[in-house]
Amino acid sequence: MNESEKHRWLPQFCSLPTLFALMVVAEIVALVIAMAPDRAAGSWLSELGIASVFVQWLALLNAVVLCSSREVLERLPARLGFFSAWTLAVVTTALGSAVVYSMDHALGFGLTGPPGVIWRFSLGNAAICALIAAALLRYLYVRELWQDRVRAAAKAQVDALQARIRPHFLFNSMNTIASLIRKRPADAERAVEDLSDLFRAALGTREMLGTLGEELDLIGHYLRIESLRLGDRLKLDMDMGALPRDMPMPPLLLQPLVENAVYHGIQRMPDGGTLSMHGTHHQGMIEIVVRNPVPADVAHPRNAHAVANVRARIEYHFGDKAALIVQPTRGEFTVTVRLPEATRR
Amino acid sequence: MRTVVADDEPLARERLIGLLEEIGSVEVIAEVRDGREAIEAVETHRPDLLLLDIRMPRMDGLEAARHLGSFEHAPAIIFCTAYDEHALAAFDANAVDYLVKPIRIDRLRTALERAGRFNHEVLRELEKSVSTSRERSHLCARVRGNLVLVPIVDIDYLLAEDKYVIVHHAGSEVLIEESLKALEVEFEGRFVRIHRNCLIALDKLAGLTRTADGRVLAKLEGVDTELEVSRRNLPALRKLVRTL
Repeated sequence: MNESEKHRWLPQFCSLPTLFALMVVAEIVALVIAMAPDRAAGSWLSELGIASVFVQWLALLNAVVLCSSREVLERLPARLGFFSAWTLAVVTTALGSAVVYSMDHALGFGLTGPPGVIWRFSLGNAAICALIAAALLRYLYVRELWQDRVRAAAKAQVDALQARIRPHFLFNSMNTIASLIRKRPADAERAVEDLSDLFRAALGTREMLGTLGEELDLIGHYLRIESLRLGDRLKLDMDMGALPRDMPMPPLLLQPLVENAVYHGIQRMPDGGTLSMHGTHHQGMIEIVVRNPVPADVAHPRNAHAVANVRARIEYHFGDKAALIVQPTRGEFTVTVRLPEATRR
Repeated sequence: MRTVVADDEPLARERLIGLLEEIGSVEVIAEVRDGREAIEAVETHRPDLLLLDIRMPRMDGLEAARHLGSFEHAPAIIFCTAYDEHALAAFDANAVDYLVKPIRIDRLRTALERAGRFNHEVLRELEKSVSTSRERSHLCARVRGNLVLVPIVDIDYLLAEDKYVIVHHAGSEVLIEESLKALEVEFEGRFVRIHRNCLIALDKLAGLTRTADGRVLAKLEGVDTELEVSRRNLPALRKLVRTL
C-alpha cells in the first residue's frame, strides 16, 4: 500500500515499457542526425548505422545509471531530484562520448570525426542529450503524474462503493439481541460477537485485502444473525468446501449478494425459502452461485444497485477475467460470480 | 385494551409481547405474521389496538393500515419499525404513534396511553395521506358482510358497472366501491384501459383478434370471456403490445 501511495515522479527505467520508449527516442535522434543536411553525402545508410549503435549505447548507459540511482533520486524533493537526474544524464553522456572518442582514435577508425577535438565531440553530444533528456524527463514525469491521478480516481471510486451495512440490518439485529438477552443469553452473546465482526469489516476504511476464507466466515456470521431473526423461514443450503480459503479478497465483496438474497428474497416470502450458495474451483477460477426464491409478483428485482456496486468492485480487484452474471426468472433470482484465483493488485 | 401484534419476526413478537405483559394494561388476543393476517385478525377479533410492523411479506403494515381505514370498527394503530422510513413522516402530523425498535418500555407505555385517545377520524386522515403515495398489493372487498382481500397479481380484468367495479380474479368476481379511473391511475403500468368500462392486466394479455364484423377482441390467459377493445383505445394498446 505504501509503495503505490508514495509520490513517484521518476519512472522505473529498468522496466520494459520505459526502456522501449527510450530506445525509440534514441533511434529518432539517430535518424535526425543521419538525415541532417550538410553531412558527407553517399554513405547515408552506414552513417545511420553508426549513429544508431552509438546513440542506443548511450541511451542504455543512461538507463542503467538512472535505474541504479533511482533510490537516491527519489528521496530528493521533486524539483531537485528532477534537476539531478537531468545533470546525471548529461554528465553520463559527456563521459561516455569522451570514452568512445578516445577508444575510436586509439583504434584508428576515425568514425567520430577528426582527431584532437574530444571536447567538441563530447560537449556537443552532452548538449544534444541535455535538450532531449529535459523533454523526455518532463514527459515521463507528467505521464507518471497522470497515471497516479487515474489510479487515485479509480481507488476513490471503489472506496465509495465499499460495502455498507444497511441501517435496517443494524436495528433489526439490535432488536433480536434485545429479545434474546433474557431467555437465551448464550445466543445473544454470540449474536453480539457476529455483529461486531461484520461491523469491523464494514468500518474498515481501506480495501485492504482479506481472504476468501475470512469472507466466507463473515457471510456465516451474517447468516447466523438473520437465522435468529427470521427463524425457520431462512433455510440454508451451503456448499463452499471446494473453495481455496487462502485466496486474497477484499472484505465484504460477496456478502452484499447474500444480504440481497435475504433482503429481497427470503424475507419477502411469507413462508421463507432456501438460500443456496455453491462454490466450485477449477483451472485457476472459482465460481460461486447464490440462488434465492423471490415473491411471484416481483417482476423486476430491485437490487440492481447493490449488484452494480459488487460488479464494479470485482472489476477493480480482479480485472477482465472476473464476471458477475445475474439471472432473474419468475420466482427465482440467481447470481453467479466467477473470479480468477490471482488478484490483479 | 384487547390487542393484536403483527410482526413477521418471531423474536420481535416475543419481545413486544413480553413488554406488553410487563406493562399489564393490555391483553394480547392474537399475534400475526403479515398485513393480510392482521386485517383478517381485526375482522375476526375486533381488537382495540393493533401493533403493526411496517416491513412484512405479502402485505406491509402501511397498506394494511390503509385498508383498515375503510373499516367501521378499525382499531387504534401503533406502528413499529426498525428504522425511520420517510413514509413515517406523514404520520407524525397525525396522532397515530410509531415506535422504533428496539422498543423502550417507557416509550411503549406513552404510546399505549395515546392509543386510548385514538379515534376513527385519525385513521381516515391516515388513509388519505397513504393512498396518494403508494400502490396497494391487495384490493379489499366485502361479500355478504365478509371481508375478501384480492391480491393484485391475481386480477385478470376490472369491469365498471354503475357505481361499482367488478373485479375478475382467478375465476371468481367481487364488487368494490372504487372508480375505474382511480384504479387506472394507481396501477398504471399493470392495468391498461381497453374500453370506457374496462381495464385489463397487461401481463395476462394473450392476444388480439379481429371478428368478421371488424371488432377487435382481447384474449386473456386463463379467461374464457373475450373482451372488446374500443376503437379509441386500440392504437395505444397496439403500441403497448409492440413494446412488450
